[in-house]
Amino acid sequence: MKIDIVTTRNGVRETVAYDYRPRQDGERPMILDVLLQAQATALPDLAFRYGCRARNCGVCTVDVNGRPRIACRARVRAGDRIEPMATLPVLADLVVRRDGIARQLQGRTTADHRDPDLNEEAPEAYHDLTACIECYACLDGCPMHARNFADDAADAALPDAATGYRWGNPFSLLKLQRLRLDPCVTEDGRQAALDAAIDLGLDACVGCKGCKCGVGIDLKGGVVGELLAAAGDRLSGDGASAD
Amino acid sequence: MTIEVEWRDYDVIVVGSGGAGSAAADAAAAEGARVLVVSKDPIACSDTKISEGNATVRGTVSDADTEQELSDNLRVSGADLPLPALTAAYAKDSRPAYDWYRAHGLRPKINRDRQGPFARPLAKGGHTVARSVGHKNAGVAFSHAAWDAVVEGAQIDYLEDAWFLDLAVAGAENGAPGRVAGGLVYHAATGTLVAVRASAVVMASGGLNTLYFPKTDTMRGNTGDGYAAAARAGADLVDMEQVQFLPFCLTAPASYEGLLVGEPSTASFLGVLRDRHGKVILDGVYLRTRAECSAAIMRAVADGRGTDGGGAYLDLTANARLPRSGKGFMRYLQTSMPSAYRTARQALSKPAVRCEESWEVRPAAHYTMGGIRVDATGASVGGPGDGTAAAGLSGLFAAGQAMGGVFGANRLGSTALTENVVFGLRAGRGAADHARAHPHSAGDDAFHPLIAAATAQFGHGGDQAPALLKLELQRAAWDHIGPARTADSLNRMDAVIDDLADRAGRAAVPDYALWNQAFIEWVELRSLLDVARAVTAAARERDASVGGHVRLDRPQVSILAQPYSTVVRGQTGNGGVLRVQAVRARRPRMPAMRLLAMRLKDAWRKTQAKALCLLPPALLDPILDRRYRAILGPGDAAPAVSPGGPAAAVADAAE
Repeated sequence: MKIDIVTTRNGVRETVAYDYRPRQDGERPMILDVLLQAQATALPDLAFRYGCRARNCGVCTVDVNGRPRIACRARVRAGDRIEPMATLPVLADLVVRRDGIARQLQGRTTADHRDPDLNEEAPEAYHDLTACIECYACLDGCPMHARNFADDAADAALPDAATGYRWGNPFSLLKLQRLRLDPCVTEDGRQAALDAAIDLGLDACVGCKGCKCGVGIDLKGGVVGELLAAAGDRLSGDGASAD
Repeated sequence: MTIEVEWRDYDVIVVGSGGAGSAAADAAAAEGARVLVVSKDPIACSDTKISEGNATVRGTVSDADTEQELSDNLRVSGADLPLPALTAAYAKDSRPAYDWYRAHGLRPKINRDRQGPFARPLAKGGHTVARSVGHKNAGVAFSHAAWDAVVEGAQIDYLEDAWFLDLAVAGAENGAPGRVAGGLVYHAATGTLVAVRASAVVMASGGLNTLYFPKTDTMRGNTGDGYAAAARAGADLVDMEQVQFLPFCLTAPASYEGLLVGEPSTASFLGVLRDRHGKVILDGVYLRTRAECSAAIMRAVADGRGTDGGGAYLDLTANARLPRSGKGFMRYLQTSMPSAYRTARQALSKPAVRCEESWEVRPAAHYTMGGIRVDATGASVGGPGDGTAAAGLSGLFAAGQAMGGVFGANRLGSTALTENVVFGLRAGRGAADHARAHPHSAGDDAFHPLIAAATAQFGHGGDQAPALLKLELQRAAWDHIGPARTADSLNRMDAVIDDLADRAGRAAVPDYALWNQAFIEWVELRSLLDVARAVTAAARERDASVGGHVRLDRPQVSILAQPYSTVVRGQTGNGGVLRVQAVRARRPRMPAMRLLAMRLKDAWRKTQAKALCLLPPALLDPILDRRYRAILGPGDAAPAVSPGGPAAAVADAAE
């Protein structure tokens, strides 16, 4: 079964045609099976992330034919092309630099806002959001995240990754909306979370057709829609999210 | 080639960012320490994240669940290997540890009568009281709390994509361990070596299960880096032969090999294990410990009665067959361990998923009970008996799977998510205290040989691929130091390790610095070889079967024998090669009356379970039906959206 794997070593990008050998008749391998076999045979130095092999840890996301897929639980077909996620800078082969996403939330979601009484139950909508495994499939097609790379496309190798991207994404919005649904967070904390969402560029969500979640969370309704509704007319005019 | 070296100064380095690492970092930062978290995987992408999300919280159901009761449960199931000081600390802190997760956003259902969470109604195997609290979205909900603790306050610096290579140690002489001067880190995302000066290091870097890949259900990152670095730096490891193999993991299909499909408790009242001929090899499965079930399977395999996939059959059909209670059983199976059942549903045939057929299962590595030898503050200890911090590696702390001594020979279900924060918080505070008492760096001299050795690997010429050597090691480890061992297999493992270590010296590594996968593979191979040495040495010193250590050629250890733990001492010789030596540390035996009372309670439960099975179906069915109703309650359904659930939009394996 011929599968294309795009590798990047020391900055040099190339496509390797890998011939997957099925382990049983009619096997429809997962992406990760192909990568593990390639590493055990023709490409021993192949770089790729994986963790639990059960779609819980969220680290193995790659692009297949230009769409993000969770490698351990998405199958490939002959002729498929496996590439690193197009939404983040490549470090090597299928490994992208992820930490610019989380770092943008440093200091934006402080614990000081917690209410000391922990014996409060969270609403169902809160638990819907803690299903997020941080696979970053939701960055695909996100106009807010794309702003990070828009200003200076030629020099977009690693914009702000070490300190956190300036502009947000559905994952960061989810983390903020989760705070807003947490019964143990004070009203000030909820307000700070909304302010952070607006500062990260929530205005980019106005009129957007919506984002798609890797594990099926309703991002458009449960996250973006709620934040937009709460922000209301604070998003009118383009000054809301400028530096 | 020269790789750039960046020097940094902190008070405390925390290696790992799961439950233990995040709690340690949070506690140390709260004490005012400058903290650097070093994580090779993204923050909080750990075994905590992929766990079933059950935490042990003492006193959830009744005040009669005393500290003594929980501490004794750990000691009895751990075959008296656990240190009483550690089990007591665990029992004392279980509730505060759980509340730490809650302070960072873990939200259970609340039992208003007791102002706290609900426990799952069935006590997990080895617990005498129900005290395991389940959560929506399982471990993922815990990982959000761990993530928040590291990221949210901006009080903690962190590096991800960062491999902790070695502890820098000053002042070691005459075989006595020295003190921590910091650590050397490869930050793959920037292609630099980071030399971090710090007088305290908390190892919270997980276990060694990847030694058995793919026969494991845990994170790939469990390559024993913390144990290996500690041993190379002269710290003691304890109980390293004690690796927990979960009994009920898949043999096939290949993409699912090693993944968990059930626990002893989910076998429920009528589940049994059978050999390839259908003969029962273990009954009353739901009351057994994980170690008992794994040992039964591996003994059948060794006798030639194993399945084609090298396992046994978990037969749940008797539960499902009863007309009324069968429905309750299926609902219990689906909701008590949702992610395990989801794995079963994706991987097994439809009749098997409906429990009309048996499941082929085999043990898989799940947890390392052994680890860095510590006291109740998480500080490295050395010397005879319980050891003392004065004889340990000064400035080294450990928590979570990286530490040893609290679970001994067997870890009970749901105990790990509590343990990692109990000792994470203790180790974090201990490290901050230590750094305050030792504010000055122990000097840079200790770093220079480490930097030279790491630098020499970039552009290292050779004819061996480290990734392939790793695969050879993993296959051999399963055969020789896996869930069944003999004197012969241990000797064969020594030979394999020597051969692979020799070939690792001929590793081919390209010379570029940015995310050099061959270098990473070499680093992890070195860790795995070092922990394989430690496991083999400890397994040889432990000359009978106990808990997770099954010797096919030796009897089960007698309950009358004086309990002892194995202690592995490391020493780094010429060329950085670790030499290990195993000795014994005596453990106190639990008072006979308490042990007897526990065993009687356990025997009574098993007798009741047996008696139940003898009832005719017409009588049995309504009894079990009532039990399932009591267990499940009215509204206990699986969450609507969960990782890998049917609503998943991107990955589409489970059609």
